[in-house]
Amino acid sequence: MNGLLSLWPRGWTREQRSSATIVAAGALLVAILILAGRLLALLPEPIGPSAAELAAGTLITVELTVLSGLAGVGVGVLAAVAKMSPLRIVRWPADFYIWSVRGTPLLVQVLFVYFALPEIVPVQLSDFNSAAVALTLNVGAYNAEAIRAGIQAVPRGQTEASRSLGLSPIQTFLDVIFPQAFKISLPPLVNNIVALLKDSSLAYVIGVAELSNIGNRVKTATFQPVPVFLTTAAIYLILTTVLTEISGAIEARLDVEQRH
Amino acid sequence: MSTAPAHARSPLITAELVNKHFGPAHVLRDVTTSFFQGEVAVIIGASGSGKSTFLRTLNRLEKHDSGRIVVDGIALTDDVKNLDAIRREVGMVFQQFNLFPHLSALENVTLAPRRVRKTPRAEARQKALELLARVGLADHAHKHPHQLSGGQQQRVAIARSLAMQPKVMLFDEPTSALDPEMINEVLDVMKDLARSGMTMVVVTHEMRFAREVGDRILFFDHGQLLQEAPPAQFFDAQQNDRIRAFLGQISH
Repeated sequence: MNGLLSLWPRGWTREQRSSATIVAAGALLVAILILAGRLLALLPEPIGPSAAELAAGTLITVELTVLSGLAGVGVGVLAAVAKMSPLRIVRWPADFYIWSVRGTPLLVQVLFVYFALPEIVPVQLSDFNSAAVALTLNVGAYNAEAIRAGIQAVPRGQTEASRSLGLSPIQTFLDVIFPQAFKISLPPLVNNIVALLKDSSLAYVIGVAELSNIGNRVKTATFQPVPVFLTTAAIYLILTTVLTEISGAIEARLDVEQRH
Repeated sequence: MSTAPAHARSPLITAELVNKHFGPAHVLRDVTTSFFQGEVAVIIGASGSGKSTFLRTLNRLEKHDSGRIVVDGIALTDDVKNLDAIRREVGMVFQQFNLFPHLSALENVTLAPRRVRKTPRAEARQKALELLARVGLADHAHKHPHQLSGGQQQRVAIARSLAMQPKVMLFDEPTSALDPEMINEVLDVMKDLARSGMTMVVVTHEMRFAREVGDRILFFDHGQLLQEAPPAQFFDAQQNDRIRAFLGQISH
């Protein structure tokens, strides 16, 4: 869905329209975060009096998503490359990581990082950091599969041309294969990040004061679940919509061949 | 195209008893030949005769199973250092062009010199613009491959290879994927290159080009190098029935 893309003047090029969309949607996201408190305060009971808390929860949710989302792309690239390695010693840990993360519930992973990990390694992360680590590892495993598919979709002739020119395998990957693969992987990566935004609600179980947690606290204090959870859901919906707009525009920006 | 007889000079590439299998198929059988400095060698044969596979073994896009290939004094083995060194000296032009679609024509040409030869950006750019002008594409430097016709893309691909200043250029059916009206623009660039003294090994179905530009014709049949001969002898005084039948089929 590229709603914003069609808003711009007809004379603009696809690049201009997509750049404008990225800037506008990005600004919109920042505006939402800054103004959420004041906008929510305009609403009647039970939302108005709890506006500040809901706005703070929204900010935590966005922080979790952006942090884990960015780190998750990095983890995904590393895991994808490792999984495609000819060396078993590199491939096997990547296989295990992707297999175990995709095969277990995120809820268990969040609980594991917060409660079990400190028993194994002598590091106690805060609730927020634990959630960020769990979400990063989770989205990273799904990203790995998306990126691997993208790498495999780049025609073999690209590698042959690059290697024939004398570029090393690493240069071939960085300059030739990855930029094309990333573009192919972008739609599934975006899906993963939108899913991540919603999945960040699971940080609730270890006490992170993100949006769902705050919603539940407000419900407990006001005994009005219907308006509270409708508002919570509406905030998620606005965030996922803006995120989809931004990624749709990035996709259009990278689409040099103008296939769309 | 060359003036001195080819055998008077030292070979740039030597292949000795090269064999290659794809599964049960024996696609190269004891191929032995040499390519000399400044020579234009044209490889022809039916599809599936092993001619493209042989060309691709010369810069190890395909590994040979047995035999020996020496390029510019370096034997082709699994040694990665050797391989990179050889590939820098051997240019390759593909049937499907294989331009990098995310880069402009100019960036396609500058990438390898900048990364591999560490040529400074401005110098690489200057050289690339000269090469694009040489293949008649000075005005298209900033276009992406998808904005260029097939013939233009192939000319960019030739410029891209030349940018590494290779000692030899391999052409793998460079005009086979082109619409008929674009074939000549690519052949003209190749003729120009041959006149400049570039060592070339060309797999092609363009018999006029082979006759006009080639110093030597190599005919592949079922994985064997059946015959090598100068073009006049090959086309006009052909004794081999198998080759005569092949030439009869395509020359009309």
